[in-house]
Amino acid sequence: MLSRVADSIYWMARYVERAENLSRLLLSTQDLLLDAGADGLDEEQFWRPILATTGDEEAYSAVHKKIKGRDVAAFVALRPENPNSILNSIRAARENARTVRDQISDEIWECLNGLRLFVESNEGRSTYRNQNAAFYERVLRRSYQFQGIADSTTPRGEVWHFLRLGTCLERADQMSRLLDTCSALSMEMPPHPQSRPLRWAALLRSCSAWHAFQAEHSKLDPKKIIEYLLLDETFPRSVACCVVELHQTLQRLCGVGSLHHMPSPVRRAGRLRSDLAYTTVDEVLAVGLHEYIDILQSRLNDIGVSIFQTFVLYADLTPVAEDAPEETTSTPALGAFHAHHDEDAQMQQQQQQ
Amino acid sequence: MSSLFNDYQPGKFFDEVFSAPGAARAHYEGLLSSVGNLTPGDYSTLQKAVDAAFLRMGVTFTVYGDDQGTERIFPFDLMPRIIPQREWERVEAGLTQRITALNLFLNDIYHGQKILNDKAVPEELVLSASHYRPEFKGVKVPHGIYIHICGTDLVRDDKGEYFVLEDNGRCPSGASYMLENRHAMKRAFPGLLQSLPVRPVDAYGTMLRETLAHLAPKGVLEPTIVVLTPGIYNSAYFEHCYLAKQMGVPIVEGRDLIMRNDRVFMRTTKGLEQVHVIYRRIDDDFLDPLVFRKDSLLGVPGIINSYRKGHVALANSIGTGVADDKAVYALVPKMIEYYLDQEPILPNVQTFLGIKKKECAYILENLDKLVVKAVNESGGYGMLMGPSASKKERADFAERIKANPRNYIAQPVLQLSRHPVFVDDHFEGRHIDLRPYVLYGDRVRVVPGGLTRVALKKGSLVVNSSQGGGSKDTWVLWNDE
Repeated sequence: MLSRVADSIYWMARYVERAENLSRLLLSTQDLLLDAGADGLDEEQFWRPILATTGDEEAYSAVHKKIKGRDVAAFVALRPENPNSILNSIRAARENARTVRDQISDEIWECLNGLRLFVESNEGRSTYRNQNAAFYERVLRRSYQFQGIADSTTPRGEVWHFLRLGTCLERADQMSRLLDTCSALSMEMPPHPQSRPLRWAALLRSCSAWHAFQAEHSKLDPKKIIEYLLLDETFPRSVACCVVELHQTLQRLCGVGSLHHMPSPVRRAGRLRSDLAYTTVDEVLAVGLHEYIDILQSRLNDIGVSIFQTFVLYADLTPVAEDAPEETTSTPALGAFHAHHDEDAQMQQQQQQ
Repeated sequence: MSSLFNDYQPGKFFDEVFSAPGAARAHYEGLLSSVGNLTPGDYSTLQKAVDAAFLRMGVTFTVYGDDQGTERIFPFDLMPRIIPQREWERVEAGLTQRITALNLFLNDIYHGQKILNDKAVPEELVLSASHYRPEFKGVKVPHGIYIHICGTDLVRDDKGEYFVLEDNGRCPSGASYMLENRHAMKRAFPGLLQSLPVRPVDAYGTMLRETLAHLAPKGVLEPTIVVLTPGIYNSAYFEHCYLAKQMGVPIVEGRDLIMRNDRVFMRTTKGLEQVHVIYRRIDDDFLDPLVFRKDSLLGVPGIINSYRKGHVALANSIGTGVADDKAVYALVPKMIEYYLDQEPILPNVQTFLGIKKKECAYILENLDKLVVKAVNESGGYGMLMGPSASKKERADFAERIKANPRNYIAQPVLQLSRHPVFVDDHFEGRHIDLRPYVLYGDRVRVVPGGLTRVALKKGSLVVNSSQGGGSKDTWVLWNDE
């Protein structure tokens, strides 16, 4: 498979996953506020963490003075100027899909193209205005549809593997960010169930873990929740579960060799997988949840970079002849499709008959 | 007689469907007996459903000069154009004859130039064509074929005679719309396609692949074929992707390709993989910055050298644009006579050449009756529609012709045939042309039908998509009724 194509498929999957996670986050925060509303709470404490998860606090404060629910939601959902908005994630997913249309099934393409048409349409905007929950749900459903279609129409070759790499890495990353928003909360169990387990409950909801967690544990113990979302290998959105699949997928792509010949992404993912498998939640809390997640995120990021270097950047360095000249490598450009917004090239592309 | 067409007026033109008001031609009767019974409301609902499907499937082209990168669907009219068997057989024979002569001509002018030495066609005219590539003289191309994929534009005059309007021997586009149009028709009128003897077009992808595989360097039994696209900003990007998918081959951009030992490789996740045949949709000028335009960001440095050495094949070959020059077009009947010793089966439209003194004088005197075209323009640009142009426009063109007579030709205004097109809630006649796709591999093959383009603007004779054109599905029948 072409390196460029692999990169685009990977990013297509990442952006779909990102849009899905953002939608669920906004939806669960909105629900949480409805429950907490009667308490007359300061809404800032609910919405600021959202900006923190997406890393957009600075971009937001450039546009808005105060943190208000409506503004934050609109900023994260539909702001064209916000590169990380749901709107732009969907656009990016679709543009990446467009560059690899010949590689993915027509059904995948139609799903993403349809989603993009929806979020850009008047229908999409008015759905958001009138009942934003319906908007988020639509994005969520499309993303599930994408997963299902991809699963049932993609041959289990490279296209599939790169798709899964993108999905798992993004999912693990989003989950770690979500957990981080709760790192400042108290680990104490609320004295009685009526009091205020709300934030922790919302955390579970924002990653579709509410029912799964309830079935395993009877109490909303924050420690148990962290353990479940971070270290449990059975829950499909937990960091550990994503890293297991990441590692397996990389092994399928690269083969399993001895340590000396093992490509860097396999080694990194394998090491992180073992760490997560042999770490207890008490050890995590001893380090500090926020500190632990900081390290986790940089390791996830390293895996992403090494995937890019191994499959995209270094592919053309494979020597064909002894006298093959060294190619100069460009700096890693993340996001695939976005990397090539060169106006001159764009103009020349348009000049062709 | 069916109700939807009761008020339809064929007018003074050659109408594809009606020989007189209310009198349908035999090969349209089957279609009319079923479509004609629909109400305007039903018909319009079907049309809207097809439009929505095209948008959803992303069967679109990019509108240039729009920051949003707006993609539009190519307007599609549901009512198909039908060609009976006997008519098609003649068209097919004519196209085959023409591509054969064109390839003999290109092979000749890039080698011995016998036709020029024998003075069968004027040397200065041919060698002054701006797409003639003298640097390519003497280069052997696989099987001596230059044009592998040709999209010849045909029109019919007021008597229904077929004429060749131009040969597109560089990168003819539109084949994907031909295929998608048929797909849409299958959804809209499944029963109809089942009951009428319509020849299928969906073998095009396979035929194209076989045509390309035929070019592979000697000894390569399983060639790696790719489609080389300028990139997603090109208006035809959808088509490049679509054809790659139909053929089951990768679509690549220039930056995916790299040269090693004069061979072309693509960068893959598993390292470099050699490429043997390239269906390129990039113009000659941009293909190789070492040979042609140095500022090209789309090409592959060194690819031409590899082609010269026979390590990689290109379709179409370099320098085929000389045959697309509208003044050289005028010589095709002579080529057919010279190389094949035959009469042209499909005639040219009468053409006056600016480069010939007498003809140039005639052009200048009759600007109000002629269509003037710049020899290297396409897409409906760089032309003057004499009868409808203003005095100032005509005077302006006269100056341009005098300044550079080689660059202009003129033709009488053809009253192109018309076809009913659905407008709001009824049918009106609109002018159409036909672009069949001709493939030249181990033999010449013509896909039955092609892309029927429609000038959707009332009274307009320009069918190009950039000028408000649309398209129709084209049904070639297995029989004559």
